[in-house]
Amino acid sequence: MSPSQDAVQPTETEDKAQEQAPPPPKPDKLDMRGFIPGYVRCGGTKELGEVTSHNIRLLKRLNQVIFPVSYNDKFYKDVLEAGELAKLAYYNDIVVGAVCCRVDTSDPTQRRLYIMTLGCLGAYRRLGIGTIMLDHVLKYVQRDGNFDSIFLHVQVNNDVAIEFYKKFGFEVIETKKHYYKRIEPADAHVLQKTLRPKIPSTQQNGVVERSRS
Amino acid sequence: MVQTMIIMKCYEHKQYKNGLKFAKQILSNPKFSEHGETLAMKGLTLNCLGRKEEAYDYVRRGLEVTSLVMSYQERFDLTRWHVYGLLQRSDRKYDEAIKCYRNALKWDKDNIQILRDLSLLQIQMRDLEGYKDTRYQLFALRPTQRASWIGFALSYHMLKDYDMALKILEEFRKTQSKRPYDYEHSELLLYQNMVMREAGQYEKALNHLDLYEEQICDRQSLLEKRAQLYLQLKRHKEAEQVYRELIQRNPENLSYYHGLEQAAQSSSSEERLKLCQELQSLYPRAHCPKRIAFQCTKEQNMLHGKTSLRTVFNGKLSFLLICILRSCCVGEQFRSHVDPYLRRSLRKGVPPLFVEMRHFYEDPDKVKVLEELVEGYAESLVQRGTFSADTEEPEPITALLWTYYYLGQHYDHLGDHTRALHYINTAIDHTPTLIELFVAKAKIFKVLLHQTNEGCMTLNNLCAQHAGNIQEGVKWLEEAQGLDTADRYINSKCAKYMLRANLVKEAEEMCSKFTREGVSAMENLNEMQCMWFQTECAAAFQRLGKYGDSLKKCHEVDRHFSEIIEDQFDFHTYCMRKMTLEAYVGLIRLEDVLRGHNFYMKAAKTAIEVYLKLFDHPLADSNTIQETNTGLLIE
Repeated sequence: MSPSQDAVQPTETEDKAQEQAPPPPKPDKLDMRGFIPGYVRCGGTKELGEVTSHNIRLLKRLNQVIFPVSYNDKFYKDVLEAGELAKLAYYNDIVVGAVCCRVDTSDPTQRRLYIMTLGCLGAYRRLGIGTIMLDHVLKYVQRDGNFDSIFLHVQVNNDVAIEFYKKFGFEVIETKKHYYKRIEPADAHVLQKTLRPKIPSTQQNGVVERSRS
Repeated sequence: MVQTMIIMKCYEHKQYKNGLKFAKQILSNPKFSEHGETLAMKGLTLNCLGRKEEAYDYVRRGLEVTSLVMSYQERFDLTRWHVYGLLQRSDRKYDEAIKCYRNALKWDKDNIQILRDLSLLQIQMRDLEGYKDTRYQLFALRPTQRASWIGFALSYHMLKDYDMALKILEEFRKTQSKRPYDYEHSELLLYQNMVMREAGQYEKALNHLDLYEEQICDRQSLLEKRAQLYLQLKRHKEAEQVYRELIQRNPENLSYYHGLEQAAQSSSSEERLKLCQELQSLYPRAHCPKRIAFQCTKEQNMLHGKTSLRTVFNGKLSFLLICILRSCCVGEQFRSHVDPYLRRSLRKGVPPLFVEMRHFYEDPDKVKVLEELVEGYAESLVQRGTFSADTEEPEPITALLWTYYYLGQHYDHLGDHTRALHYINTAIDHTPTLIELFVAKAKIFKVLLHQTNEGCMTLNNLCAQHAGNIQEGVKWLEEAQGLDTADRYINSKCAKYMLRANLVKEAEEMCSKFTREGVSAMENLNEMQCMWFQTECAAAFQRLGKYGDSLKKCHEVDRHFSEIIEDQFDFHTYCMRKMTLEAYVGLIRLEDVLRGHNFYMKAAKTAIEVYLKLFDHPLADSNTIQETNTGLLIE
């Protein structure tokens, strides 16, 4: 999911400015990079829609096809209660992707958002559908304003996904051995985007420190 | 008996409780405890309060009792027969009611109320001669009333005595004073015009329209009629003009296009094509279609109904024009017209594209063209993401999906089920979330079942592969249904497949997701006159050998039709009052052929088959006797 060559010029310059004096990157400026041309080119519409008890089977089907792991009934039950944290992605009025998150409070000192699943059907990749889903999540945490970080697990060999998240300011903070039970490779990277660093001087340091601890 | 008259007044004003009070007062007086007239009135009042059995009892007693006061004999008989008639009418025994009224009229032949009631029954029973006589009497008695004139004219119209009907209407029209925007008067004029047209007096009808144009409020109706008349009078130029105006008013009405075609006298295919092209250039510029198109894309209903409207606006060449085109284009010409239309529809994702195209499948040459085109798209889309090698513009990913979907339906239609399944499965692999694909898949299996029934040998192998085909169809539709449980179309479709597979219980459960809560789905479906369900259900029971249940369903359907016919009763007075006479005549004619409806035919066929079967093979053992009894009892 690298930015395409015909990326919009103004955005590029803005990015350079950000690199020189690094404030935390603004997600909603970054996210459309490289995908706007695709959007115009194919004339498709992209929208997010709610997950309801009527269309939950669509989500199940998607997850079955997209992910090598299967999710239990509790997962889908919780998703129905998740509100904005679970969304279906539509391309030309057809469901092609979905994102499901939950608030993670396993560490009582931190309030984190965990992305359980974020995926799109094979035929519809590189159209910016993942971007609008992640963008939605980023906006959600921004509006909420009370999250320390966003994190997720990725199979270690999933380079495309790792690249994708890195573009949005995620970093590998940890690698968990034998995280997955039935798939190979079983190891998973933990990707994290820090929103509220513990040491507020620079964001970089905050991330590094946490990954060591 | 003044008190009895008070009861009648109470009855007419629907003050039933008061009426009963008075009746009680009179009857409690030992002198009048067997007073016939009062007994009858009490019965009638009770009937209106829903106490049927008591009601009949009182009325009958009223009729049997010989009145003590002989001098009032005539009046009593009159009232009692009238009351008995009303009672019969409320029980829908119209023939009996007519007899009662006739008896009542023996005592007072000029009783307006009784004559009016009688006329309603006569038109309901289509006793047209009788109706005419009654309306004549009413007319003679009350010539100042509007309804007298209208009813009188209508009775002649019904008997096809157009001259007399027109004479009455014209005389009546003369008495009407002109008021601005008088819709009832406008309806009267249109009715008058209708009679003229049916009498074949086209010239006169046309002049009539011109003369009263100002007073006719229903512009669309006026234009439609004028266009028709011009056509009938072979004044094609003028007809064409009016049809163009109508198309401008509503570019969605196919009959206007047909009218225009006739008016333009474009008999050769080239002429018709030219007309099409002209409309095509004229049409997309119209503001209205764009606006409607915009509204329609917002519609949730992706699958059915509204989508055809949506597709109409889908590009330069509308579906309507395509329809016209189908008969006049051949070979390369056809290809050049249909190609851009297909591309636009596939790009946009128009689910019923194949249904639109099915019109062309009568012609093998056109089928070939369509197959070549769409196969070409699929190949090119896979290779380079465009519809053809000579185009640069990449298409959205969904274009390939819809192309597969089309091909699946195409081969299914042609009976090549292997290939059809191949394409549908490819599409499902591509996008497993598109509900239409599962419906198409189910349909392929359904067709397979039908062909095995017909003993189609060549398909046996395939059928063996997909054993239990209708069950397989049900499976795929259940899948589709699960993906969007808020979609009623899929829900109904799924229930229908279940019935085809004789899964009555399951079908009922499926339907219950949309029927009223707290009532059994079967009951609610009956109440809603849901006849596709009931006819299919009857057939399923028949196949299962549950003949009683099957007949029950058939009779339910029959009852719906009886109800529809009975429901017209209210319109005899209502339409006369509201002057919506053209629509009223339309209703009467519809009711006359109502039982020709497909649902009735289906139910009747099943019932006949079951009755014949039971006659030829009477069921003997104890379990089944009960079953048959339920069926026969209903009869």
